[in-house]
Amino acid sequence: MSDIELHLVVNGAPCTVQAEPCLTLLEILRDKLGLTGTKEGCGAGDCGACVVLMDGQAVNACLVLAAQAQGAHIITVEGLAQEGNLHPLQQAFVDKWALQCGFCTPGMLMSCYALLLGNPDPSPEEIREAIAGNLCRCGTYQSVVEAVLSAARSTREARHA
Amino acid sequence: MLDFSVIGKPAPANRSRDIVTGQARYCPDIRLPGMLVGKLLYPKYSSAIITRLDVNSARMLPGVVALLTARDIPGENSYLYALPADQPLLVTDIVRYQGDALAAVAAETEELAQAALDAIKVEYEPLEGLYDVLEAMQPGARQVWPDRENVYDHLIIDHGDIDLGFKAADIIIEHTYYTPLVEHAFMETEGAVAYLDENGVMVVYSSCQAPHRDQIQIARALGVPESRVRVITPHIGGAFGGKDEAHVQIHTALLAQSSGRPVRIIRSREESILTHVKRHPIIIRYRTGITHDGKLTAVHAEAIGDTGPYLNAGRDVMNFVAATLSGPYYVPNARLEAYTVFTNNPICGAMRGYGIPQASFAYEAQMDLLARRIGMDPLEIRLLNGLDTGMQVPTGVTIREGRGMKACLQEAARFSGWKGRLNETPQPAPHLRRGWGMASIWFSIGMGRGIPDHATATLDITLDGSVILHTGAADMGQGAHTALAQMAAEAIGVKFETVKVIGPDTAITFDAGPSVASRQTFISGNAVLNAAQPIREVLLQTASELTGLPVGILQLRDGLVLAEGERLSLTIAELAIKATQENRCLHADGFYAMQYPEPLQPNSYAYAPAVFTFGTQVAQVLVDIETGQVTIEKLVAVQDAGQVINPGGARGQIEGGVIMGLGYALMEELLVDQGSTQNPNLGTYLIPTAKDVPALIVKIVEIPEPFAPFGAKGLGEPPLTPTAPAILNAVADAIGVPLYRIPLTPERVLTAIVSVPEIFPNNGS
Repeated sequence: MSDIELHLVVNGAPCTVQAEPCLTLLEILRDKLGLTGTKEGCGAGDCGACVVLMDGQAVNACLVLAAQAQGAHIITVEGLAQEGNLHPLQQAFVDKWALQCGFCTPGMLMSCYALLLGNPDPSPEEIREAIAGNLCRCGTYQSVVEAVLSAARSTREARHA
Repeated sequence: MLDFSVIGKPAPANRSRDIVTGQARYCPDIRLPGMLVGKLLYPKYSSAIITRLDVNSARMLPGVVALLTARDIPGENSYLYALPADQPLLVTDIVRYQGDALAAVAAETEELAQAALDAIKVEYEPLEGLYDVLEAMQPGARQVWPDRENVYDHLIIDHGDIDLGFKAADIIIEHTYYTPLVEHAFMETEGAVAYLDENGVMVVYSSCQAPHRDQIQIARALGVPESRVRVITPHIGGAFGGKDEAHVQIHTALLAQSSGRPVRIIRSREESILTHVKRHPIIIRYRTGITHDGKLTAVHAEAIGDTGPYLNAGRDVMNFVAATLSGPYYVPNARLEAYTVFTNNPICGAMRGYGIPQASFAYEAQMDLLARRIGMDPLEIRLLNGLDTGMQVPTGVTIREGRGMKACLQEAARFSGWKGRLNETPQPAPHLRRGWGMASIWFSIGMGRGIPDHATATLDITLDGSVILHTGAADMGQGAHTALAQMAAEAIGVKFETVKVIGPDTAITFDAGPSVASRQTFISGNAVLNAAQPIREVLLQTASELTGLPVGILQLRDGLVLAEGERLSLTIAELAIKATQENRCLHADGFYAMQYPEPLQPNSYAYAPAVFTFGTQVAQVLVDIETGQVTIEKLVAVQDAGQVINPGGARGQIEGGVIMGLGYALMEELLVDQGSTQNPNLGTYLIPTAKDVPALIVKIVEIPEPFAPFGAKGLGEPPLTPTAPAILNAVADAIGVPLYRIPLTPERVLTAIVSVPEIFPNNGS
């Protein structure tokens, strides 16, 4: 099967990738673009380690085929910090110890980022719902909830200031 | 409370900024020029003779650069964790479980590597495997090994007089408990990357818990001196005991040696679940004698562990089960037995808790049944029998610091509102039953007497007053590096931010032993203190000379020099410069080995540990008696920590442990049929999600441990162990039926409700 030419906007930068059509968005990000921040935990959509934003929606990148991503705007964990400044969500994850081994963290961050895009003031229950597809075997869920609440608060306060 | 400036204070996890920005590199993120993809061939059967293994046509395929079978291994074809070493890296003539590897291939791409595996011709003569542990114990049963009994080990720990103990009892109860086979499910599967560097050294990036042990194993398999092997641990995506023994790092190095090119092997999730060691499924027969007024008189417990076909840590885990089965209680007479039994099921070994999750499940379920039988509150029976400082336990050890047991019990009762629970409604809806349960545990820190248990740590202070800490201790996410950096900062007197942690890298860090047994805070922590001591002395001596003040009144703190608490205009950086000018050494290695304060009793358990920690958890549950669904309404976890080093890290270890324990209680069971795992993925082997976990209430008891660094003892494993029995006891309380088996799936709970008459009234008393 011949390669397809894939046009993407990744973390704000347009790029073109020649890719075998059987590749997943996860493989394109990691292997073609060198964005290894997005992790593979299962390759089957069970764990959420590979969650990225595709046109504003949180998706498991391992379940998206290359052609399905044609023309999409993708945001990965590498796209959260701006000019070396951590995104409030990233800062809150550090401050609240919302990570241990860190392997689920990129996917967890992107699920939370997607949540806050649509819901800047989520309840703890809404946060738990948003990360229900992100497995964390270290068991950081409670700290993640607190980190998201804290980031949402600081973002709202910054906006009103 | 001691006046610390770094210990016990909030500090971010080491390298957490790398993690949240996606810059942290784990094994699968390492890309080297010309790197090949390695894969292993696994068998079709879990018990079979290999009659033909033909790799010739596979070798000829395009893109295949190296293909190894057992005969191509230049050195020892063995994992060396267990002695005697019994598990081959690549099997020769017989398959003993589903995770045995037959061949290893390195090819230009993943697809070509898979094509090569598919082209290997294997013919088997299937054998009737042994899959039932009780059947394997029968006299005359077929043997997994021709030259070894299926019952590989039978440990008996005898203490006091068991017959007299049961004679002194007013009531004796006996039950049998069952625990499931459980999977680690670390989020990063096992992986390694290996290449031969320009000096002829095999460099191996390994997602592991024991880099220095890896180094030895790799060298022996390659047939090269250990000095020609360098193991580096990159970021590790969780381990929980499952990356203690080597997994693919030896095969990866063998392929790199054979191909002359960099190679990486990353296990798929399914390969991971099918191959690595598991938490033993254990059957525990438990007989306890008690007086009417609630004093334990005797315990006789027998634990049978299905350890699979290879030794790994199986016997050591089972011995730990026996050594712990009397629980955190004073038991004057005990016989504690453990059987390590070979089968063709998955290999069992180290998993967070190392046998204690199983033991504590049995002794705490039994404790509640005893309480009900004599009409005593579960809290009271535990307080009455709880261990304390100075008491001797069945392994012959006297507890050096044991106040944590009752302190945790009392705190757990207080924060859970234990005494007020009877005022709450036991039946909030016709189909719902509410219940409460508690469980207490004891847990030993360190490997145990007779097992090497030491660490070296290295400290350097630079001329700007910052500190470099070299450690060979793997941090798999548990926070060891953060805690060690805090201890180094406190011990020398610098700010936490100025400490840089480097390692593990066997080329530049010394052996700290494996990151297991909740030991690194204690052992490597003491090594850090021993390294800090001479550096601090040099700095203080230099400060004394510069100021003309006696050493005795000087302090180093937060990078500054103080005299009787008053800050001087002198920094540690200035001291470092001056000390260097005076030709004084600002580098030190610290060594520490676990110390055992007393000789053991004759005939006692050989590996008896010296340091114990305690914990109590309380669960409040709601059971839907129409569906069997269990909802956790409240979980209170109180853990003895000695001294908290990092509040965020400590809380994370406790919450994470509780969540893993919740999975153990309610949902986790690896299903194996005829040696073949039926749910080898995360869609069918379910672990807790954010929605399965209630808001957790965590409290820490701090009673400094003697000989521990700043009084701190390990926290990695203990918090997992009371959760399952606390939940089980709560469910039993809710439905009024005793339960003997986890996980408490809805089906199992419903079966208990409909098949057993209510034998004790709802809600205690």
